Parts: sequence; structure tokens; C-alpha cells
Amino acid sequence: MRRMNNHMELTFPAIAPNEAFARMAISAFLVSADPPVSIVAEVRTAVSEAVTNAVVHAYQGAPEGAVTMRAALGGGLLRVEIEDAGCGIEDVPRAMEPLFTTRPDEERTGLGFSLMQSFMDAVRVTSRPGRGTRVAMEKRLDAPAREAT
Amino acid sequence: MGAKSDVETKRWRRQGDTLTVYLAGEIDHCQAERLREEIEERLRDASVRCLRLDFSRVSFMDSSGIGMIIGRYKTMTARGGRVTACALKPPVDRLFRMGGLHKIIAIEEERCGA
Repeated sequence: MRRMNNHMELTFPAIAPNEAFARMAISAFLVSADPPVSIVAEVRTAVSEAVTNAVVHAYQGAPEGAVTMRAALGGGLLRVEIEDAGCGIEDVPRAMEPLFTTRPDEERTGLGFSLMQSFMDAVRVTSRPGRGTRVAMEKRLDAPAREAT
Repeated sequence: MGAKSDVETKRWRRQGDTLTVYLAGEIDHCQAERLREEIEERLRDASVRCLRLDFSRVSFMDSSGIGMIIGRYKTMTARGGRVTACALKPPVDRLFRMGGLHKIIAIEEERCGA
């Protein structure tokens, strides 16, 4: 792990192929800090879940929506935000309950926020109905990867 | 080269009542939707009683993959069949445990049919 400061911001259409793009982008961003592979894997999963939520829920598949991913490195800490300007979430605590989903018919599991919370050190969700949602996450890059819970 | 690439690109195998799917790459929301359609198409054949999912070439999976697997589990149990999985790499194995899939799907250590 190398301690260094860096930041980036990317905006891309809320389409499913960009879930993989977002994972690749955060992986590439982390290369300069050289964290353990297990930590990169955890961050990739959390980012994938957050971007998928934007694609599936915020814009409900409408491709004109945009997702912005911001990331900052400093003092051995990664901060990453996934923000959309979609429909927003009426009840954030309920949306974050394990297994809660509005789309069981589409084989959504309701595990997205649970995985973000398991894999990251902090997850903060702010949302305004009709305006959008921001998921802000933090991860220490020098800590051992968490055990599965 | 021909024989080798045939092995690398093998995606399906039917043996008796067992259909093996050789999954590959990253199973996210985008890929899970495609896989759901492809596997369901193959499962129209009602003589398939066991669906085996080979994860030896899967490098990443998120909750969308869990949903896709639970969906196929429902398809198979509805016909009295079952789902098994094999060759889970550590990141995929961890998702299996977090999603509770270990409780409903038998995990084989070796690559299916290897």
C-alpha cells in the first residue's frame, strides 16, 4: 500500500454495460495506491452494486440518465461516491434493509446495500425523491480484508 | 489451437439428465440478464433434472449473480430437480455464503466433470 493523494470524477450513461466500466475504472484508479488485491475486490463489488442500483432503480432502464462516480485517495483512505439524478428513494432506511427489493420479479435480491456495508468501512446514502441519490462510501486501504459475515 | 480453443469456449454439456453450464467472466446485472435468458432457453427441455453451474472461469460476481442463481434454483425445484455448483473461487464463494446460496445449492469442490 502506498499513501498518496489523488482524485477523479467520471460521468457515464446509466446503461448496464457501464457496470463493468465502473468496476474497471475504480480498479485502475486504485492501482497507484497499490492496495491488497482482496481490498480491490471488495471495492469493485461495492461500486458494482451502487452503479447497478442507479441503472436498475434510479432510471429504471432509461438510458438518458447519467451516473457520476467520484473517488479520492488520501491518508490511506479511499472515498468513493456514486451519484445519480434519478427517481430517488422515498424511505432510505427501508431500502437498506437486507432482502428488501421493489423488483423481486426481475430477480433482484435486495442484497445490494448489505454487500456495500459488508465490504466497505462506511456507507452513507442521501436521497431526495424526484431529484436523485448519492451513495458515499469509505474504505481504509491498509486494513486486512473483512471476513464474510 | 483448434482443440484448445474449443475447450476454452465450451459453454454447455449435456450428460443424461444433467446440464452443465460453464460460466465465464464477470457475472453482474448486465451479464446475469443474458445468462438468465440463455439458461432458461436450455431448461425448456423438461428432461433436464440437474443444473450444474461451473464457476471455474468466473472472476467476479455481485448480488445480481446471486439473484440469477436463485431464479434458476426456483425453475429447477419447481420441476423436482436440483442445482449444483462447482469450482468457486474465493470471491465467488464469499458471495455464495453472503447470499445464503450454500444452504440451498450443493457445492462440489472440483470443476464439474473434470
